[in-house]
Amino acid sequence: MNSSKPDFTFLDHTADLGILVKGTDLKDLFEVAARSMMYIMVKENPIQTTDTVRISVAGQDLADLMVRWLSEILYMLEGEHVVVRNVRIAKIVPSHLNAILGTVPFDPAMHEILCEIKAVTYHQIEVVKNNEHWEAKIIFDL
Amino acid sequence: MDIKLEKIDDYRWLIPKSGRMRVPGLIFSNVELIKAVREDQSLIQVANVATLPGVIGHSLAMPDIHWGYGFPIGGVAAFDLDEGVVSPGGVGYDINCGCRLVTPRLPADEIRPLMRDIVSALFKDIPTGVGSTGPIRLSKSDEADVAASGAAWAVKKGFGTAEDLERTEDHGVMDGADPSVVSERAIQRGKDQLGTLGSGNHFLEVQVVDQIYDSETANAYGLFEGQTTILIHSGSRGFGHQICDDFLKNMAREVLKESLNLPDRQLACARIKSDLGQRYMSAMACAANYAWANRQILMHWAKESLQRVLSVSPRELGMKLLYDVCHNIAKKEQHTVDGTPVTLCVHRKGATRALPPGHMLLPEIYRNVGQPVLIPGDMGTHSYVLAGAEGAMTQSFGSSCHGAGRVLSRSKAIKMARGRAIHRELEDKGIFVLSRGKKTLKEEMPEAYKDVSQVIEVVHEAGLALKVARLRPVGVIKG
Repeated sequence: MNSSKPDFTFLDHTADLGILVKGTDLKDLFEVAARSMMYIMVKENPIQTTDTVRISVAGQDLADLMVRWLSEILYMLEGEHVVVRNVRIAKIVPSHLNAILGTVPFDPAMHEILCEIKAVTYHQIEVVKNNEHWEAKIIFDL
Repeated sequence: MDIKLEKIDDYRWLIPKSGRMRVPGLIFSNVELIKAVREDQSLIQVANVATLPGVIGHSLAMPDIHWGYGFPIGGVAAFDLDEGVVSPGGVGYDINCGCRLVTPRLPADEIRPLMRDIVSALFKDIPTGVGSTGPIRLSKSDEADVAASGAAWAVKKGFGTAEDLERTEDHGVMDGADPSVVSERAIQRGKDQLGTLGSGNHFLEVQVVDQIYDSETANAYGLFEGQTTILIHSGSRGFGHQICDDFLKNMAREVLKESLNLPDRQLACARIKSDLGQRYMSAMACAANYAWANRQILMHWAKESLQRVLSVSPRELGMKLLYDVCHNIAKKEQHTVDGTPVTLCVHRKGATRALPPGHMLLPEIYRNVGQPVLIPGDMGTHSYVLAGAEGAMTQSFGSSCHGAGRVLSRSKAIKMARGRAIHRELEDKGIFVLSRGKKTLKEEMPEAYKDVSQVIEVVHEAGLALKVARLRPVGVIKG
């Protein structure tokens, strides 16, 4: 999934890294956010088979859900050494989402870590509907 | 939000209390440095911290202040133990990120011709870079021991000597650490990262003492002109990041329950005396201890590299720890407020403790001259050693700055560095650099940081810590 750049723009932050993500609906927004984060972190060889992992994430509201969702994917890389390649949100409501992830074990020969993200922060987190589109502003701690 | 800023004198600016601020903000800066501060969002962050329950005195910022998340980087805030809060965002993700200065007995001019070999050996021996793992694999019980006993664990395993512990803030162990409150995820992330430098602004630098400002204190620290020093900057790695992350998420829930109505979610916090607050303090202490063990091990490996490259015995190398300080922490400390001694929880997020001469927490060897305050600059300019001063106790809860402070975002730095070979530019200045990441050197290039000499000037003139020596980099390894 990292072969082409997902639809996000960088926000300027002195110490850290922020992104602005857009989606046609909530599912799309959360999928693009996850792809964008992985795009920033890992460069990979695109020809790989993947395993399928199903995850559920709960949050207090959409903003909290976004932080927890991306934190799950970040933990998979940092804690379990698994690279998330494909993302599909099966169901999403403001307090909960179910996702199906295509993953592959991290392999230094296949993957190059481009950027270490320490964490997904709550700083100025925003998930809002802007006319017909959904937008999220997310700041990572580097 | 428009922040009102009043100049008090050449080194102090006040943000008067307004809106929901419980106390005023106080920024140590000068006319030059304050310009950049006005341009980002860090002043709003100083004001936001001033709204937190139980905050005492002022919401403070050191001259290296810049826009962080929640608290500004360079922020200091003290809280009442009964009414006040503890905030993981006020410590940062890299709990006990800090610096350690080591002094081998080597005249710099003797090792200069060998610098390329020295830096290459250090780069080979010390795991650096994103997600770096080292040769140490911790079992669960070993990791709990590291979390409970800090640098002493490393010394027990043969990485250094008991004398090193004397020369480490809090003897390299924070009280109250309870590994049972640390999540499985943090344990998982920490098991193979002990003894690794990490990436980003973390580094190991070989330096030369090129100027002494206070010879009596320099003498007490064992510093002299033309001497080689090694500065190590690292923290608690994924173990600490995960602990911060876990507790921020729990506290974000708590904040809603308590209806604290915070101006920024990243300020999520819990009352210090609450169960969640206490558990965070215990988990944070575990991460602080992991970081002290980490820097102790990194120092030991640096020592072994030098012995090998220079073909000298440990005795000939005579490498001593000068001091180790943390700059991301929340600690219960004794301070005097309005003439009354009180115990407060002092948050330092990108700020260094700076105890004055005579302070009871200082090791005997430094009791008369004050605590060594280690301030790294960017990799192209100088780092400084200062000594904690009385002014820190009266103005900043015993705190000083922690570095140069970023002035360019990473993306702006990369843009500015386009087409330039940063490592060549540094080599032309006599600094040999090896870096794991392709982008790191560009992100961390000298222009990305404030002028560290100005930051130091403010700290010195404001009386928070006094200049002792200046260190010029000659070799750097980075993630």
